[in-house]
Amino acid sequence: MTALDLQALLPLVLTTATAIAVMIAVTITRRHGLAAWLCAAGLAAAIASIASARECAPRHISDLLVIDSFARFYSGLILAGSLVVAVLSYGYLKLRTDRHEEYYILLPLAAVGSLVIVCSANLLAFLLGLELLSICLFALIAYRRTGRGDLEAAVKYLILAGASSAFAVFGAALIYADRGSLAFGPPGLALSSPVALAGIAALLVGVGFKLALVPFHFWTPDVYQGAPAPIAGFIATVSKGAVFALALRYLSTENLLADGRIIWLLTAIAAASMLAGNLLALRQDNVKRMLAYSSIAHVGYLLIALLASASLGRPAAAIYLTAYFLASLGAFGVVGALSQPTRDADALADYRGLAWRRPFLAFTLTAMLLSLAGLPLTAGFVGKLSLVFSGVSSALWLLLSALVLGSVISIFYYLRLLAALFATPPASEPAISSPNTPWPTTAALLFLTVALLAIGLWPAPLLDLIQKMAVAAW
Amino acid sequence: MTPVGLQHYLVLAAVLFSAGLCTMVVKRNAIGILIGAELLLNAANINLLAFSKYSAGTLDGAILALFVIVLAAAEVAIALAIFLNFYSRFASVDVDRGDQMRG
Amino acid sequence: MTDVLGIVMFVVGGVLFVLVSLTVGRLFRPRRPGQLKGEIYECGEPTVGKGQVQFDLRFYVVAMLFVIFDVEIALLYPWAQVFRQFPKAAFWDLAFFVGLLLVGYAFAWRYGYLDWTRPRAGGQADDDAQTPEQER
Repeated sequence: MTALDLQALLPLVLTTATAIAVMIAVTITRRHGLAAWLCAAGLAAAIASIASARECAPRHISDLLVIDSFARFYSGLILAGSLVVAVLSYGYLKLRTDRHEEYYILLPLAAVGSLVIVCSANLLAFLLGLELLSICLFALIAYRRTGRGDLEAAVKYLILAGASSAFAVFGAALIYADRGSLAFGPPGLALSSPVALAGIAALLVGVGFKLALVPFHFWTPDVYQGAPAPIAGFIATVSKGAVFALALRYLSTENLLADGRIIWLLTAIAAASMLAGNLLALRQDNVKRMLAYSSIAHVGYLLIALLASASLGRPAAAIYLTAYFLASLGAFGVVGALSQPTRDADALADYRGLAWRRPFLAFTLTAMLLSLAGLPLTAGFVGKLSLVFSGVSSALWLLLSALVLGSVISIFYYLRLLAALFATPPASEPAISSPNTPWPTTAALLFLTVALLAIGLWPAPLLDLIQKMAVAAW
Repeated sequence: MTPVGLQHYLVLAAVLFSAGLCTMVVKRNAIGILIGAELLLNAANINLLAFSKYSAGTLDGAILALFVIVLAAAEVAIALAIFLNFYSRFASVDVDRGDQMRG
Repeated sequence: MTDVLGIVMFVVGGVLFVLVSLTVGRLFRPRRPGQLKGEIYECGEPTVGKGQVQFDLRFYVVAMLFVIFDVEIALLYPWAQVFRQFPKAAFWDLAFFVGLLLVGYAFAWRYGYLDWTRPRAGGQADDDAQTPEQER
């Protein structure tokens, strides 16, 4: 362990230190503001440490972790997402539950789990990160303990996540049997042996569950509906983004895409996710469930980048994920800001005429939905365009037609919510009089909107950064 | 008499894994489902240790098994806490009670 | 193989002996069930209530804390293996680890999770303190 190793690990160390610091602070005194500030400051420091250490070469740390520019880019994305979730949670929690402080211990720990996943160069590190993320999420989903929904969601997530991570451990054991080590390639896995193939299949269950891909997606709508809105945003973005980055790294280090069966399987999963996600979202009157189904479709789109050639696929994945992070966090942030102390604002009726009651929130939500739909002038458009380019270059015509079809379907349900936003308000008193938005929430939403539009209008700086960081060879 | 070898461990692990999976699918009691999940993890652990001793010859698998034990314990602790809350809300740990969300 | 065969024959013989004698007895004996026969014979206490008692929920909290702190010992085995090689690093490693556990312990202590009857720690509202009796 040298000083350079430590510098490379600084984001992880700082995020862990944040969790410990908040825990010590909570043991001494329970103050919501203090815990939230400590958490936000720690996460911000971790982001700063990534920016400062950008020039380090890829470093392998004791077989387990590798910190290269790819890991650094996704670490930054994860930490920024977690920071936004922490800020949004402050306003959200203030209205609810009498104990807020433990939340800010669990949130950085979940971020640490995601960071470990992104940096892992070994199945041991991956499984460790995966479980750390899952275990924190169980508690975060059940955090309010007030309604029926959140406990139900937590129990569902707990059971399915437990089963899927057991599958992942079993898969790791089989892969270990085949190659005698848990480290990622090279040389890539030889899929000729049935043991390795079974191992990959079992790992896919674990990864597919976290990404909510189609045969493993059943938990998604229930958990998003039951979880607190900021945590639903966290599951949709940080947890999925981390596992996706790992999948990107694992597939190419193990050279799995050389195998026709894997390509065929991933293509089927991607197409099914795009179509099923979008079609199921059409029927939803519940906004959180609608966002859940649309998130299934978005990860389906992302798989195009996974299957495309590395030179175009990796930047496309990074751009699309960035746009998706911004828009999803923004959408769930607005849902959280509109929510009542007793229930989240998830009915379509809660949004009727929002543009006349709360113009700022309505404008933010509009921008987020347009970006999710991939319309021009937003980051989502840039992301979808680069996905299409990467798909065309690798001639993934089946997936591209599913993407186009899915996007057309998705416009219907996004527009339905948009139409509700701008409908004339009902003459009677609005169904809910939502509480005033606290300033940290407003600031976070403003930041997300500005970033979303800035990337949409002038994507060059982000594209440069991604070309420099997210494409690095390993 | 044949000595105990890799196959015996693998068969045991496979039986445990299937038993765990059946338990998770059949049981409606949350604690029962948790026991099923533990069986799955322990089946994976037996595999890891057996491969570590017989085929791979490195300690990676044994170390992962240790970590899995600790992770499983952490998972159980959180799960028990959530089930306690579930119990005080629904007066039962039957997971079918939580069927509010549909669609 | 022969020694295994012996054991198998022994087991099969034992099982058969019990099965055969019970079945033969069943064929010949009269069958007259009654209330008196169902009762506990001579030296048992008459039972009160059902066998499936619900344990106090507080036991689960204790069990939870035990599980958390107990299993950390598993991580000490590899630590003990390398201790002689890197005594200094291993010492600080463990000091950090135990320190973390201590923070957790202090947390549980401070908010009364270790007490059998929960006080309202620090005058804070504490909704866990509802006893299970109130819930039912």
